[in-house]
Amino acid sequence: MDIFKFKSIQTNIAAAIACLILLTAVLLGVMSYQLSASSVRETAQDYTAELIRQVNANIQTYITSMENISQLALNNEDVRAFVAADSSAAEDKGSKVSDYFQSIIVSRKDIASINVFGYNGRFVSDRKDAELNPNISLKEQEWYVNAKKAAGRIVVSSSHVQPVFKDEYGWVVSLSRELWSQDQRKALGVLLVDLNFSVINDTLNNIDLSKRGYVFIVDSAGNIVYHPQQQLVYSNLKTERIDEVLKQGSGSFELNEGGQRRIYTVQDTGFGWKIVGVSYTAELIANEREMQLSFVAAGIFCLLVGLLLAYFISRNVSKPIKQLQEHMKKVEKGTFNIRVPIENPKEIASLARSFNLMVVRIEELMNQVVQEQEFKRKSELSALQSQINPHFLYNTLDSIIWMAEGKKSEEVVLMTSALAKLFRASISRGQELVSIRTEIEHVANYLTIQKMRYTDKLDFHIDVEPGIMQYRTLKVLLQPLLENAIYHGIKNKVGTGEIIVSGFESEGSIWFRVSDNGVGMDGDTLRTILEPRKSDHESKGVGVVNVHERIQLYFGKEYGLFYESRPGEGTTVLVKIAVIDASFEKGGQAQ
Amino acid sequence: MKRMTPRIPLAVIIAVLALAASIAVYAVFQWAVNVKPDKQPQIIVSVKSTEQIVDFWKVLIDGVNDAASEFDAKAKVIGPPQESEIDVQIAQLEQAIIDKPDAIVLAATDYNGLIPVAERIVAAGIKLITVDSSINSDDALSFIATDNLAAGRKAGDELSKLFDGDAKVAIMSYIQGTSTQLEREQGVRQRLEEEGRFDVIGTYYSDGLVDKAYTITKQLLTEHPDLKGIVGLNEPSTVGAGFAIKEFGLGGKVKLVGFDSSIDEVKQLEEGIIQATIVQKPYNMGYLSVKAAIEAVNGKRIEKRIDTDSVVITKSNMYTEQNQKLLFPFVGK
Repeated sequence: MDIFKFKSIQTNIAAAIACLILLTAVLLGVMSYQLSASSVRETAQDYTAELIRQVNANIQTYITSMENISQLALNNEDVRAFVAADSSAAEDKGSKVSDYFQSIIVSRKDIASINVFGYNGRFVSDRKDAELNPNISLKEQEWYVNAKKAAGRIVVSSSHVQPVFKDEYGWVVSLSRELWSQDQRKALGVLLVDLNFSVINDTLNNIDLSKRGYVFIVDSAGNIVYHPQQQLVYSNLKTERIDEVLKQGSGSFELNEGGQRRIYTVQDTGFGWKIVGVSYTAELIANEREMQLSFVAAGIFCLLVGLLLAYFISRNVSKPIKQLQEHMKKVEKGTFNIRVPIENPKEIASLARSFNLMVVRIEELMNQVVQEQEFKRKSELSALQSQINPHFLYNTLDSIIWMAEGKKSEEVVLMTSALAKLFRASISRGQELVSIRTEIEHVANYLTIQKMRYTDKLDFHIDVEPGIMQYRTLKVLLQPLLENAIYHGIKNKVGTGEIIVSGFESEGSIWFRVSDNGVGMDGDTLRTILEPRKSDHESKGVGVVNVHERIQLYFGKEYGLFYESRPGEGTTVLVKIAVIDASFEKGGQAQ
Repeated sequence: MKRMTPRIPLAVIIAVLALAASIAVYAVFQWAVNVKPDKQPQIIVSVKSTEQIVDFWKVLIDGVNDAASEFDAKAKVIGPPQESEIDVQIAQLEQAIIDKPDAIVLAATDYNGLIPVAERIVAAGIKLITVDSSINSDDALSFIATDNLAAGRKAGDELSKLFDGDAKVAIMSYIQGTSTQLEREQGVRQRLEEEGRFDVIGTYYSDGLVDKAYTITKQLLTEHPDLKGIVGLNEPSTVGAGFAIKEFGLGGKVKLVGFDSSIDEVKQLEEGIIQATIVQKPYNMGYLSVKAAIEAVNGKRIEKRIDTDSVVITKSNMYTEQNQKLLFPFVGK
């Protein structure tokens, strides 16, 4: 296709348009992708934050319910009485307290146990069968120590295994607070409410924070309360940015780790824990690939449409140029009679107009040149034709001398007179055309001289229709043919040769026939006799070729010489010229 | 000069080409969206025992699942009901080869018996990773497990810390000939020999049964009243020995250093019967083996041997935040 032609206007325009469209598509694509991506990212971040808030609310609910439970337990007189050191009478209240605790948490699966550990050594739980683990020291437990330290305020532990009960090693979150006497003067014991950690675990496990995102919880000391990959964190196979998280209040920050950007969304809880959502930036845009693809697809589509448009637009522009180009090529090949149709666009139309003018001018100039050339050639030829072979002259003069020596005065007169006429005819310049009568006289003179020179060798006979005598013919047309017949035909023949010159009109043309009965020509010579010679010095047929060319120049290509010959039998030349009467004499124009 | 193609209205050509272009773009788009270039790697994990599943394998499977979800792979866990059913594991693996996963993670029930099937796995173009228990060949790309020699040395070290002077000790091993057992025993003996003050009276085999360990220990305690220490090389061997020591009322007098963890061991730790136990990290094994398998599938180079380390647990550190998860892996049980 032409479109792919290198450096063509069409390709240039197409490429320019395509580039423009591609650039626009890429620019728009990248921009809109960035915008969409950032909006998706924001949405994802909002979603994460919302999720974390919900987690917080859930966990807060559990903690609040534990606080409420602890409050209920604390406000119970029996509990206080049970752990009051001196009230030994209240020892039997254990069972009552246990029933009370049980009633509090009945139908509550989230609460593992409610227990009171009196400083007087008494212990009561919601489960009557609960036994303390004899191998574990209560006073070393963190929740116990912290509750004592906090002196009545609520302490929420991290997640841990509760080892204080025999044969139980459940994972719990412990809420503990010190129990004070009614008058707030004496610490009586520690209240412990254990929350099954599984409820928090389940809550967090069920969170779907994209594929790799996750939620973890740290307490105020930086202990991990919950982490889906706690084992890996403890094994240092995975590092968690706990320090950064602890420094951070509620909000989010972004970290780049090993080429992966993570967004940490932190939510403070009311009891010291921090809930942290970690999402991978790359993953936030879940359909990133699809988005990218659709932008690429749109880009390709734009490019294709652009290329098509570019192709057609450029074709429209370049078509008239190509048309012009085609016409120019024709002109190059020499066809001048064409005109480029003038069409839109304006620029091309003006170009075409100029081109047309130019072609016309060139055509004129060409014709002029051709005419001039023709004229020049004709002049050259007429100069040539008027030349009398010097040898002929010498020989003729020699013949005259011999005749004069032999006192053949009559023949001398005849020959000299013929020679004089011959010369007059040759010298009479300016006139290209002469009447056939004149030409025939010339032939007669010439042949007369020759016959006198070659006394017994040559005989001739002239037979021209009287009707054609007034028509015009080229001057000295037949003489070269006669020369040829004599020198190449008859001269080499044994015995007398005869030349018959006849003239007649036939098929709207004038015909002369010059036949001799000389040696004739072989096939090759016959074939090449009318071909232009390489050199003018090749004696044979120079005149003949000139005659042929002169006829064709004057009368046209359909006129000229036609040779017939057989070796040993002679040669016949037919000369065909146009019928031109006297009125044409002055013009000298063949056509 | 070639003439232009016969004139078809420009609009028609543009419309047709645009339509073709949009169809092509749409098709490419659909293809690209649907054919995810990185499809989920399929990984089959064959553990040693699935029925009567022990904590160790449960935790390991947790690690497997966590890694699979983190790295976006599909993991399927198989395994014989009992650790002793080697043939079942082989048959399951043969089936797994037919399923043609991208990788197989194998905890071999037998050091030598699994070699042929391992060779077939590799021949089938499946990446093979061994976890916990390896095979006696070089077919696996990586072996992810506790360095049992080092773990054994830790046990020996703990035991030697318990005595100032000379002591007569025994080793309670489990199934004779298994690679882990051999390495652990070697570690213990190495460390004790370095001390030069221990008389190891012998290695005894519980076959992984608490009862047998208990019976043998009772016999040992009777025959060797001067026996000062026992190293139990796995959980049942340790617990069985602990029961015997407790029954003889020798808790704390005859020192016991064990392996692995269980509620029984925790109790014995609390009671002071077990002085220390060497705990492995099955979660890490599961997680790292799947991670290694995925890396192998993705054509990355992986280490031939990945040590998942072991931790010494004593009564004093058993309730630290870090060790709780190792000793009590399951939340809300």
